[in-house]
Amino acid sequence: MSRFRRALKNKQLVIGMIIAIVIVVLGIVGPAVFGDYSKQDLLRGHKPVGTPGDFFGTDALGRSLAARATYGIRISLFVAISVTGLAMVVGTIIGLIAGYVKGLVDGVISLLIDFIWGFPLILVAVLAAASIGSGLLPVILAVGLVNTVAIARVVRGEVLGISEKDFVVAAKAGGYSTMRILTKHVAPNVIPVALVLSSYYVAVAIIAEAALSFVGLGAQAPLPSLGQMVSEGRNYMRLNHWESTIPGVIIFAMVLSVSLIGDGLRDLLDPRLRTALERARAK
Amino acid sequence: MRSLLKTVVLTFLLLLASSLAVFAAIRLSGGDVTAARLPASATAADRQLFRHQMGLDQPILKQYATYLGKLFKGDLGNSLTNSAKISTLAVEKIKNSLILGATSMLLVFGIGIPLGMIAALKRNSWFDTGITSASVAGMAVPNFWLALIAIYFFSTRLGWLPSAGQGGIKYLVLPAFVLSAEGIALTVRMTRSAMLDNLNQDFVRTLRAAGLSERRIYFKHVLRNSLLPIISLAGLRVGQIVGYALVVETIFGWPGVGQSLVNAVLRRDYPVVQFFSLLLVLVVTLGNLAASIGYTLANPKLRK
Repeated sequence: MSRFRRALKNKQLVIGMIIAIVIVVLGIVGPAVFGDYSKQDLLRGHKPVGTPGDFFGTDALGRSLAARATYGIRISLFVAISVTGLAMVVGTIIGLIAGYVKGLVDGVISLLIDFIWGFPLILVAVLAAASIGSGLLPVILAVGLVNTVAIARVVRGEVLGISEKDFVVAAKAGGYSTMRILTKHVAPNVIPVALVLSSYYVAVAIIAEAALSFVGLGAQAPLPSLGQMVSEGRNYMRLNHWESTIPGVIIFAMVLSVSLIGDGLRDLLDPRLRTALERARAK
Repeated sequence: MRSLLKTVVLTFLLLLASSLAVFAAIRLSGGDVTAARLPASATAADRQLFRHQMGLDQPILKQYATYLGKLFKGDLGNSLTNSAKISTLAVEKIKNSLILGATSMLLVFGIGIPLGMIAALKRNSWFDTGITSASVAGMAVPNFWLALIAIYFFSTRLGWLPSAGQGGIKYLVLPAFVLSAEGIALTVRMTRSAMLDNLNQDFVRTLRAAGLSERRIYFKHVLRNSLLPIISLAGLRVGQIVGYALVVETIFGWPGVGQSLVNAVLRRDYPVVQFFSLLLVLVVTLGNLAASIGYTLANPKLRK
């Protein structure tokens, strides 16, 4: 209970969580409330916010901005959270193995990790789109690869330190299996770091999906994506700026909430783990 | 030092491997090249002949070797969209990207470090709170949206700066600031926390006891210790800037490598995609390598 109270006192965490809940609810409920995101009505194009019937306005083709934006939230959350979640699991496992087993396995893994780690997500996504064509798939692959590597890198570093500690040495001497030592003794010490880091990488993934869709390499029409909406709206900034302001503000709020949650969780962490985090965020 | 040499050699092998991967992936899934180059009336035999002439019927590894061989002779092939020589095209684009990238790097450190220092020295003042919140926000604003806001205010509304294109320093201002925004925010954050860390170290207490002036302690000792990790990791900023340049150059119509790559991907102009992606992979790899060498040199513990 005390941990929960401490979390409630953390302003960043609370504000971040509130924004996140609002966004997730919008993403879940929005498409049902605001109707079909692809329904066009060319006579009702470029309606500003506050128009009766289309309270949140419409885009150039008369499609409801609210329906499109809330569906865009779904896509963004799917790509960012589910893929980064998977990356966290895989990355943690890879990092645990590399850091604990050491030797040649570690040599090969860490070489690959070091090579891929420095690559910006957006570049990897563009290269993926160049290789397999535009769409959400290259974005998903890029987010998966880059985030897995980033998490594996930090977990490996932590495991290297932990596996020298007395309690691990004692567990080894006690004859426990490697599997048991890794899952019961080592993993609980690195999972908090992986979790906090993942929240930052969710932010990077949201931005990358939006940016790729913005330049036309991500989600393809008629699928709505927040980045693509900002891009379409930019041509009508003087006429009806809401067309790019609404999706833009949503992306900003999503990224901000995830970063605030990350910062809040970091403060709740063991101070020793914070150094590892700061180092990992130098990128 | 020996481990560093090993890293360099292995990195270049990986660079070769990854460039092969991109090369192969583009060839295998790049769609029908003949559709892009030949008229729709071309027969199957024409298409086969064209593939043969282009060397596309050879095994991938052999094609790759041929490509690399030509690359080293300076023959980069031609663009599929306008048949221009890629080598001529590339010189201009690289020059433009270098101008934008270098200006952004200067802004990242030239603005980020002083702001971070002041925030650390005036800890918990309104200035510090303002700067710290601005840097949190700066890292959350997607830069393409920041670009649109900047264009809206500074060119559409105020008419101070051009919204897109190239020519003169006026055109450089908006793209350079947008491109460096996140790097500035990150540098402020890193400088501030490094300065605060160092101010609490024992050596500061010792220097104070030895009677050094506060100014001297800050600027000579604390600053030096704080900046070392930031400067040594400057190579990582290169990668970040390359990544964002893809988007920022596209928005501002800045005729650089990033914009060319994005356009070439959209048009499936694969010879151009191939060269520019190889180039960017190389640049980022060199940046990372510089960062890891810098980091090793800056940390006596890691030097062997």
